[in-house]
Amino acid sequence: MRPNLLNRRRRRLKAAICASVTALSALGYVAAGHGAGGDNSAVTETPIKHVIILIGENRGLDHTFGVYKPKGGGQTISNILSKGIVNEDGTPGPNFALAQQYAVTPQGLYYIGAPGGAKTPYNTTTNLMPQPNTNGAPEFQSTGTPPFPTIAEAALEPDIEPAEDVLLTTGATGLPTGVLDTRVPGAGTLPAGPFMLLGPKITDDDYTGDMTHRFYQAWQQSDCSLANATRANPTGCLNDLFPFVMATYSATNKSEGNEMGFYNAEEEEASLLKTLADRFTLSDNFHQSFQGGTGANHFMFGTGDAGFWSDGNGNPATPPSNIANPNPKGGTINQYIADNNFSNCSDVTQPGVLPIVSYIESLPYGAEPNCAEDHYYMLDNTNPGFLPNGTVVPAVQGALPPSPVKTIGDALLAKNISWAYFGGSFNDAVILSNEAVAANPANPNLAAAALADPAHALGTAYCQICNPFQYATSIMSNAAIRTAHLKDTTDLIADIKNDTLPAVSVGKPDGLLDGHPQSSKIDLFEGYVQNILDALEANPRLKAQTAVFITWDEAGGYWDSGFIQPFDFFGDGPRIPLLILSPYTTGGKVHHSYGDHVSLLKFIERNWHLSPLTDRSRDNLPNPKPRPGDPYVPANMPALSDLFDAFDFASFNNQPYLE
Amino acid sequence: MKDSMIAPVFALGVLGALALAGGSASAQQFSADFVATAAGAKGRLYVANGKVRIETPDFPDGFFLVDGDAGSAWFVRPARRVFMEARQSTRLTRLLVPLDPDDPCGQWQAMAERAGATAPGERWRCDRLGGESVDGRETVKYRALSPRRRLHEAWIAPTLRFAVRLETEDGAVVALENIEEGPQPPDLFAIPAGYRKFDPQALIDRIKQSDVWVEP
Repeated sequence: MRPNLLNRRRRRLKAAICASVTALSALGYVAAGHGAGGDNSAVTETPIKHVIILIGENRGLDHTFGVYKPKGGGQTISNILSKGIVNEDGTPGPNFALAQQYAVTPQGLYYIGAPGGAKTPYNTTTNLMPQPNTNGAPEFQSTGTPPFPTIAEAALEPDIEPAEDVLLTTGATGLPTGVLDTRVPGAGTLPAGPFMLLGPKITDDDYTGDMTHRFYQAWQQSDCSLANATRANPTGCLNDLFPFVMATYSATNKSEGNEMGFYNAEEEEASLLKTLADRFTLSDNFHQSFQGGTGANHFMFGTGDAGFWSDGNGNPATPPSNIANPNPKGGTINQYIADNNFSNCSDVTQPGVLPIVSYIESLPYGAEPNCAEDHYYMLDNTNPGFLPNGTVVPAVQGALPPSPVKTIGDALLAKNISWAYFGGSFNDAVILSNEAVAANPANPNLAAAALADPAHALGTAYCQICNPFQYATSIMSNAAIRTAHLKDTTDLIADIKNDTLPAVSVGKPDGLLDGHPQSSKIDLFEGYVQNILDALEANPRLKAQTAVFITWDEAGGYWDSGFIQPFDFFGDGPRIPLLILSPYTTGGKVHHSYGDHVSLLKFIERNWHLSPLTDRSRDNLPNPKPRPGDPYVPANMPALSDLFDAFDFASFNNQPYLE
Repeated sequence: MKDSMIAPVFALGVLGALALAGGSASAQQFSADFVATAAGAKGRLYVANGKVRIETPDFPDGFFLVDGDAGSAWFVRPARRVFMEARQSTRLTRLLVPLDPDDPCGQWQAMAERAGATAPGERWRCDRLGGESVDGRETVKYRALSPRRRLHEAWIAPTLRFAVRLETEDGAVVALENIEEGPQPPDLFAIPAGYRKFDPQALIDRIKQSDVWVEP
């Protein structure tokens, strides 16, 4: 039976700590503490002395907040409810056709922006939309992995509070993997649009099937062409090929129709996130910065740029393998020839490159592919060239060679501003790395190390590709820097308690808590967030100076109805939620200014008086200027918010995060 | 404090039992503190009938159980009510084992094989270096070389049939202190009823389905 999470949380929440409504001087306040190898007393542009950026996995805006009504007076939101695509109860709304999904007849080469005449609408009879399936979600409880049979066993995970351990015991599908997900009401005959993940057999506390979310697939799903452009959608991305691409790009992929699933926040799904949106600020125009998946999006977040294959000394080189060719195999509808990770997008003769470059260059504003000559860019998940303990990964493993791309960590180091990346299960991952290298220096194997050391097996759940700093030579090759700035989630909690929180903190949960479909659940990410917010709540002086940004790496393949502003070959992609928690962002507001992951870099850079990272990084883009009557499409594209306009620094309210 | 359970009368009884058993490796009973330089704090050790319980500050949420006769080693986490194979989680389970003072390499080799640290059949080599006194206790010093060319030296007390001091080639030292001979409660060496066995393979399989794992 589904626990009533919000009520349970409300019951157990500590007594709210009264906050005085006292304005802080922007210039007169100096933060205490000295964390993560730098100075916390740097002069800031605003009263915000600390930012904590928490990044979950694989949830889109409409997927999470599609059925959400803003709490703040006069606030509006762009979602599938406000557009009439669905009703408040999640059933198809009067404008359901706006979300119509299509199939495409076979084309000779890879495409984005499918020819209109080649598209056929899915329906419920002759051309059924691919339906949701369980694709890898756990069928049963297991002693070795969530969902565990008992709460005691769930205590394996240190990064949620004990009262939340129950979430690691629930949500098994009871269905085999890779079959029609009959828990979804109507599964098997769902119409060709979004469907609700809520019913007698399914809630946000259940594991659901995953879906592919890779670079070339994502561009194709977005279906962008200037032939489709309108005033409200001047980039012409229709977002109408989501299930089709999943069903056709591979002979073996079983993602099928999961892309169209959404939660209903008005029915207490993702209830903690909804409460935060009700009390603080939610962006409805924030985007994943890279089309595709985890590694590239985190890399863009950390650098404002894409990673590329190099000789290990910073010089671009051709990868020995793993070069993409998304052109269709002969005789197939859309099956990619080589679903690989790297492309040299400066060369339009390379497979898959020309359609995207042509589209970018056709946009009615100054977008450029931003593809340097002879650079093979990392488009999909590729391990960093360093292990968590700083060991250079042997070439045989195909990791991205040590990267020269400048990170925000480098910029903060140069100004002696404290910062740290706090990765879930990082400490265990370092131990496993040490053991793996000792066991086999020529080919260290962390999974084998985990089997040899079960007590530290959770180290496999640390996300290497999520840590943009783990790619960087400047950070990983210097043991003093590495150990000072790469830490564990438990260190984040300790730093909050001990008043040693760095100026800039990035928090990433491990794989059990990151909210990723199939391997985690959205309420587990909520549990991770709550653990950190409760720690902050217990330190009201620190909390008063801290902005917490909660976002996701990408939409994970989930469909979204929002506008997309492409900047370059790499992105943007669909909308993802961004919650902004601070004493200056209260009131249940919705922020509409266009942003993506790099907006978080821009916020840091403006607040701590840093320059853009490089002359090609996206943080050089100006802030958006509003277009009359449309807060979503910047009048001065390409433009990217630094999020300052989400804050009202004249109004201070250090209210509890939750009530 | 479990030391309070030790009484001279029981110790005498144990000595008698040892004599009856002909001095088998499984007959020694004692408790001790141990200092491991890597841990930086004292741990606690209990030995009885060929079984060892190791409580080390490196693993504050559990303890290790070693059965020298069975060649098994477990890590037990009481708060989670689970146990798991210790394998290579700590080398203490391979070194702090009951030993034959005349041929200690047999036990070290068996435990290393069980932990997967040594391939089956790979031979250890032990060189007897002679007798030495450690904290007033007579010992026999050995130098041991594993098949992977890892070296350690051990001072083995024949009366305990246990190493009271170990030095590994990386400079780590494990030294027993406050040794108290006497019978130990049997439940110290048992996995409590109802505990489940944790399988790391299932966890790894689940993780491999998420984005945090990219197969090398």
